[in-house]
Amino acid sequence: MKKEAKISVLDFWFLKGKGFFLLFLILVLFFIIDLLVGSVPISLFQSFSTLFHPASADPQIASILFQFRIPKAITAITAGAALSVAGLQMQTVFRNPIAGPDILGISSGASLGVALFVLSVGWIFKGLPLFSVAGSWGIVLAAWTGAGCMMFLIVLIASRLRDLMTVLIIGILISSAVLAVVSVLQYFSSDYSLKSFIVWTMGSLGGTTRDQLWVLVPSVLAGLVMAFFSSKFLDAFLLGEDYAKSMGMNLRHAYILTFASTSILAGSITAFCGPIAFVGIIVPHLARRLFHSSLHSRLIPGTMLLGAIVMLIGDLISQLPGYETTLPINSVTSLLGIPIIIWIIFKNKKMGAL
Amino acid sequence: MEQDIFVQCKGISIGYKERSKASSVVKSEISLKALKGEMVALVGGNGIGKSTLLKTVAGFQPPLSGDLLIHSQSVADYNSEELARELSFVSTEIVRVAHLTVREMVGLGRYPYTNWFGKLNNHDEEIIDKAIREAGLSGFENRSINRISDGERQRAMIARALAQDTRIMVLDEPTAFLDISNKYEIVRILHQLVNEYEKCIIFSTHDLHTAISMADRIWLMLNEKVVEGTPEEIAAKGYFESLFPNNHHLIFDAAKGDFNIRKEYRGVVKLSASGPELIVITKALERLNFEVLPVSPDETSSGFPSVTQSLRPSVSPSPDITVVQSADVWILSYSGICMEIESVEDLCRQVKQITIQPKS
Repeated sequence: MKKEAKISVLDFWFLKGKGFFLLFLILVLFFIIDLLVGSVPISLFQSFSTLFHPASADPQIASILFQFRIPKAITAITAGAALSVAGLQMQTVFRNPIAGPDILGISSGASLGVALFVLSVGWIFKGLPLFSVAGSWGIVLAAWTGAGCMMFLIVLIASRLRDLMTVLIIGILISSAVLAVVSVLQYFSSDYSLKSFIVWTMGSLGGTTRDQLWVLVPSVLAGLVMAFFSSKFLDAFLLGEDYAKSMGMNLRHAYILTFASTSILAGSITAFCGPIAFVGIIVPHLARRLFHSSLHSRLIPGTMLLGAIVMLIGDLISQLPGYETTLPINSVTSLLGIPIIIWIIFKNKKMGAL
Repeated sequence: MEQDIFVQCKGISIGYKERSKASSVVKSEISLKALKGEMVALVGGNGIGKSTLLKTVAGFQPPLSGDLLIHSQSVADYNSEELARELSFVSTEIVRVAHLTVREMVGLGRYPYTNWFGKLNNHDEEIIDKAIREAGLSGFENRSINRISDGERQRAMIARALAQDTRIMVLDEPTAFLDISNKYEIVRILHQLVNEYEKCIIFSTHDLHTAISMADRIWLMLNEKVVEGTPEEIAAKGYFESLFPNNHHLIFDAAKGDFNIRKEYRGVVKLSASGPELIVITKALERLNFEVLPVSPDETSSGFPSVTQSLRPSVSPSPDITVVQSADVWILSYSGICMEIESVEDLCRQVKQITIQPKS
């Protein structure tokens, strides 16, 4: 009797946790590969000896690993997890299979926030160090505000127009308008602030400094914790707003929690890595297929892990192993992502199902 | 008795609040109630505000004025979770979510009882199993709700409402878009829930026949007012006739409990027959737009019926046709002429000729 019980508990744990465990192993694997690949290849042995005995290691390799590769890999994991969970939340709340932070303009809202912040700070203070920790917090707060405002606008539009396609099209239009405002702003800015803004827009996974990571990682962790706490709300949203209300969901609390989480996640990544398209749309679909579930208690951790893996793969491809140059990460995710999105649209022609 | 009144509307107005100007009232002065163990059918024409009323009763939108009481307590005094434990709702909206099984969806009904993360305990699982069984969905637990038929999906939505374990259930057109078999299955399930658990079930429907035969109480929305009562009371007061005041082609048939299309009859045929022939001939003649009436006994006894003047001169100017069956022979008489007919087809041909003749 005892033995049987033990086996069933183990089975139970495996059934529930197998997927997550496997994904976690794959994540660790790609994390290590990401440390090794680049313009200067590092062997597995070298990297381990440097990691565990930094004192006796080749200082050049140590500097590459600690100053560049590890921050970049951590940024990739953070960005992948954050954008994917943000996309998942938006797809569920708007009940729209191709909603995502980039397509509905949340990322452009964050860009506008950052542009206003960088340009106005440059104008007022004439030389506040934007790349300090204080400056990073300023940028991130501006991005959250911009993303949050965009989110609010999209919710207003979506509550007026029930049609999924119309909401998407308007989201794309507003997104373009916001980006146009950003380019107009650049005309009216001083040389100094323009320079810092251009540096920011060229941001990529590798552009994040170790100081910025101390802002980025806690922000994203906060957003992810909020996402975990919104999983029951999101489950109810699956059936639509009316059913969610009839099951006793407090609509206002649900909206505030999920949208704050989405704004923080998408805003933080846009603030430090610039726009990274399509990851947020695709990964939730992959997670639903893999876990055969739409319930968020499983989907949120699944989407996090998958998003991190997808982003590491994207980063590996952008490194172009064997070449000196790297591709911009946004181009890689777009080239990989767009065919998958077309496939998603073809798969559910009615646009009704998540 | 007071505690048996589950839902009570005291002179409420329903409609939508508009920010710019005064609110747009859909209907006002509504006073209705629904009791424990009652099946209440909400009947009314399209666009008269049935859904608005149901959404108001379900607590989605507050009444613009008046009191809406759920268990003798104003609906405004409930918080959303308390209300969700008293009242569940099934909407007309079709839920399409891939990768969501029937069981997972029914499990969402436990929402008002579970913790912050929606974790289901053993008690929740038992209630979910029971709800699935009662909705007749055993064996469908692990099917995706996208891969089941409309009728099964509707039953799954009802199972979800059952898992919510409420004393009041509100359903907006639960039988719309369903075939007859599925329609009656849904009605049967609802009826059983009322009988077995004394739930109070309020549903809207366009199927007057179902409403009259199954409901304990009818809420009837007319253009000028909203009335309630047992189906018999409503029929006796003649309210059904005023359901569609602008449509003169519809007549309410109290015996059938349903509406019929009023036809412009070409004439009246008096028919004396029995058995299967009666039905066949009646159908054939009705298709030709004749009103079929039984022959009165004194006419049949004479064997050769006398020609009677049309009882409804306004309907048709042509005199009555009489068809009488005597032994194996069918006799058609018209304006004093009698002829023998061979078949239903023959009858139809003769009847048509007779009615065309007067014009030529």
